[in-house]
Amino acid sequence: MDETDRIVLDTAERLFSECCDAELVNRAGDGEVPGALMKAVLESGLPLAWVAEEAGGVGGSLALGFNLIRQTGGFALPVPLAETLVANLLLGQAGLALGEGWTGLAYDGGSLPVAADGRVSGVVEGACGVVEAELLVVPVLRDGAVAIAGFEPEAVTARHYRNPAGEARTKLVFDEAVPLCLSAPLTAMSESGLYQFCALVRAAQIAGALDKIVALTVGYVKERQQFGRPLAKFQAIQHKVAEIAGEAALSGASVEQAVRLLSAHGQPFADDPALFRALATAKLLASEAAGPVAREAHQAHGAMGFSFEYPLQQYSRRVWSWREEFGSEFYWSSQLGMAVACGISSGATAKVWDFVSP
Amino acid sequence: MASIGFDFPAPQADASVDELRREVRSFLDEEARQGGFVPLADCWCAGIDPGFSRKLGARGWIGVTWPRRYGGRELSALHRYVITEELLAAGAPVHAHWIADRQSGPLILATASEAVKNTVLPEIAAGRCFVALGFSEPGAGSDLASVRTRAQRVAGGWTLSGTKLWSSGAQSCQYMTVLARTSERDPQQRHAGLTQFLVPLDSVGVSVSGIRDMSGVEHFNETHFEDVFVPDELVLGAVGDGWQQITNELALERSGPERFLSSFIVLEKVLQAHAGSMSPQQARVAGGIIARLRGLRAMSLGVAALLGQGRSPDVEAALVKDLGTRFEQDICERLREFGPLRMQQGDGDALQDLQVDSMLRAPSFTLRGGTNEILKGIIARGMGLR
Ligand SMILES: Cc1cc2nc3c(=O)[nH]c(=O)nc-3n(C[C@H](O)[C@H](O)[C@H](O)COP(=O)(O)OP(=O)(O)OC[C@H]3O[C@@H](n4cnc5c(N)ncnc54)[C@H](O)[C@@H]3O)c2cc1C
Repeated sequence: MDETDRIVLDTAERLFSECCDAELVNRAGDGEVPGALMKAVLESGLPLAWVAEEAGGVGGSLALGFNLIRQTGGFALPVPLAETLVANLLLGQAGLALGEGWTGLAYDGGSLPVAADGRVSGVVEGACGVVEAELLVVPVLRDGAVAIAGFEPEAVTARHYRNPAGEARTKLVFDEAVPLCLSAPLTAMSESGLYQFCALVRAAQIAGALDKIVALTVGYVKERQQFGRPLAKFQAIQHKVAEIAGEAALSGASVEQAVRLLSAHGQPFADDPALFRALATAKLLASEAAGPVAREAHQAHGAMGFSFEYPLQQYSRRVWSWREEFGSEFYWSSQLGMAVACGISSGATAKVWDFVSP
Repeated sequence: MASIGFDFPAPQADASVDELRREVRSFLDEEARQGGFVPLADCWCAGIDPGFSRKLGARGWIGVTWPRRYGGRELSALHRYVITEELLAAGAPVHAHWIADRQSGPLILATASEAVKNTVLPEIAAGRCFVALGFSEPGAGSDLASVRTRAQRVAGGWTLSGTKLWSSGAQSCQYMTVLARTSERDPQQRHAGLTQFLVPLDSVGVSVSGIRDMSGVEHFNETHFEDVFVPDELVLGAVGDGWQQITNELALERSGPERFLSSFIVLEKVLQAHAGSMSPQQARVAGGIIARLRGLRAMSLGVAALLGQGRSPDVEAALVKDLGTRFEQDICERLREFGPLRMQQGDGDALQDLQVDSMLRAPSFTLRGGTNEILKGIIARGMGLR
């Protein structure tokens, strides 16, 4: 990570610490708009981390953006920064103009087809950041290839709901909707590449939240006394903490590994077997860790962790939600397993080892 | 709140690393084709083949990170990593030289006299000299500081008496590094007064006898030392520094690819055999295993990078070993999804043999080199819980 990346991440850390405490996260989950936080994040320019400097952005690396996303996961940040980052990146790649404020991401895996007359019809079940958005970014299929379209929120029918973590999600119905802007088909972008990129975004959020869950647990067991000593002094507790620390570290390391590969590749949305393996691994392991890490952290916290006021639930509910979005561990393990089966039986890959090591 | 996030940086790779990987792969393919070795489960522990180790030595693949004047090639830790992981992935019989290459060589390099370095290290690098570990004893396992083997000062050296247990591969080794008490136990300072010696196993008073393990192999040993004279020049480091030395060794011992690849060859063969007919359920098992191996490899490479930066990532290494060894056991269990294991080794086909063998060796994965309970204690201490 270079010096500017460091500065941006430090700025974000300060901003989130100042403007986003546990109480605010809970209120946002109950439906209160975190206006001051939203304003501060927009003014900080963080949503432009992946926008080129020529276009008025930060021109940050992929690593910077993913680190930032991981950081938002560690704060349970109740604003759609991750989605706006991705939406702006897509607009930039497509050569389209950015929106003014928040930009929603109307994408849950399926790209909607564009009809000959340029209108778009179809349904997106799990759009993110739509509530605040002034512009919706929608990956579409044009002549069989991925293109990017921008829509005014008024152009589509929206039904808002919340995921189990209380985060806003939206079902969008496009009924011959007319885009505000529409790019040419993008050869550098593939449907699978787009999906796995978004999966890595969720994996990074999960990794950030898992680190926070471990940190909360360590802090709690050192404070809380029973039988005349801190819980941390009991070996049963120590071993559980060591186990969840390991799972969290494994998720973190595989997210970093995937980001490194993505950065070296240069085409973040490409359909490439090496990228697929790394990104699938990251989302699979993060989703797989979410269950046991949350379970053991709750166990170590006793009833306190089950209360709404104590922040553990903000993170456990988030990782339980995020592990389902853009492919659970079940989805990615079958994708990866089928890739191994096909690669070996077709002779395209000589050894199973090639799926593990370059 | 203090961050407990661990850092697993990327090692610096260059073209020579890829080139080396290609060389090792084609050597192994060729050897396997010619029947130079039969792929083995847990090959770095169960596979003792001095002839194969000599072939690796002749190619310059042992002690690669050491100085040239001692037979090394001054390559990076990543070069060594690539060699070792390729050998493990192929199930090659590498135990004979494994310990010396991994930890005894570096220990000798750091602590031995110039004369010992000059004579022993080039032999290790050539694949002709092997070293066993003499830590455990009948009364000292996890609680290693309670070892009773004693060394007493005599003119020109020490006399060593005691019993070491479970020393892997000692029957084919020329030396053993022996952890012994060199001063009285001090309950206040349990780790003080311990010293390591490089003991030639052909010394008068040494007897090595094999112990058969539950998988049927005689790979570990009991070694008796009866008033064995050890000259001063075979003391490793300063007298009394033994504990600090083994702590450094264990960081090397704990984070390598052998801590998650012991059963990899079984996975390779099972998936090869079933690739054309995999059910959706089996594919999920395969995908889940591959992902975890990739994640563990990223962590383990991260520890190698930290070691290369001169840091001492004890806690990170313990994390890798705890996660990795439990997982290599788990691989044996999960692969049962591909078919039942019904016959003892030798009664089934080659694949059954391999699977049963790895199942029978699996209990050792979470014991050797410090049990997982001890590792979790190290992790907990690193996180400020103890
Ligand atoms: C295949 C194999 C190869 C080996 N090779 C060598 C070798 O080359 N050289 C060598 O010196 N040794 C070797 N060993 C020995 C190995 O280092 C020991 O087995 C290990 O350190 C554990 O000691 P132990 O077997 O005496 O078990 P013990 O220490 O008696 O432990 C038994 C059980 O109790 C648990 N336990 C112990 N203390 C605690 C505690 N404080 N808290 C919680 N649980 C605890 C352990 O985790 C374990 O589950 C080898 C072992 C195996 C299996």
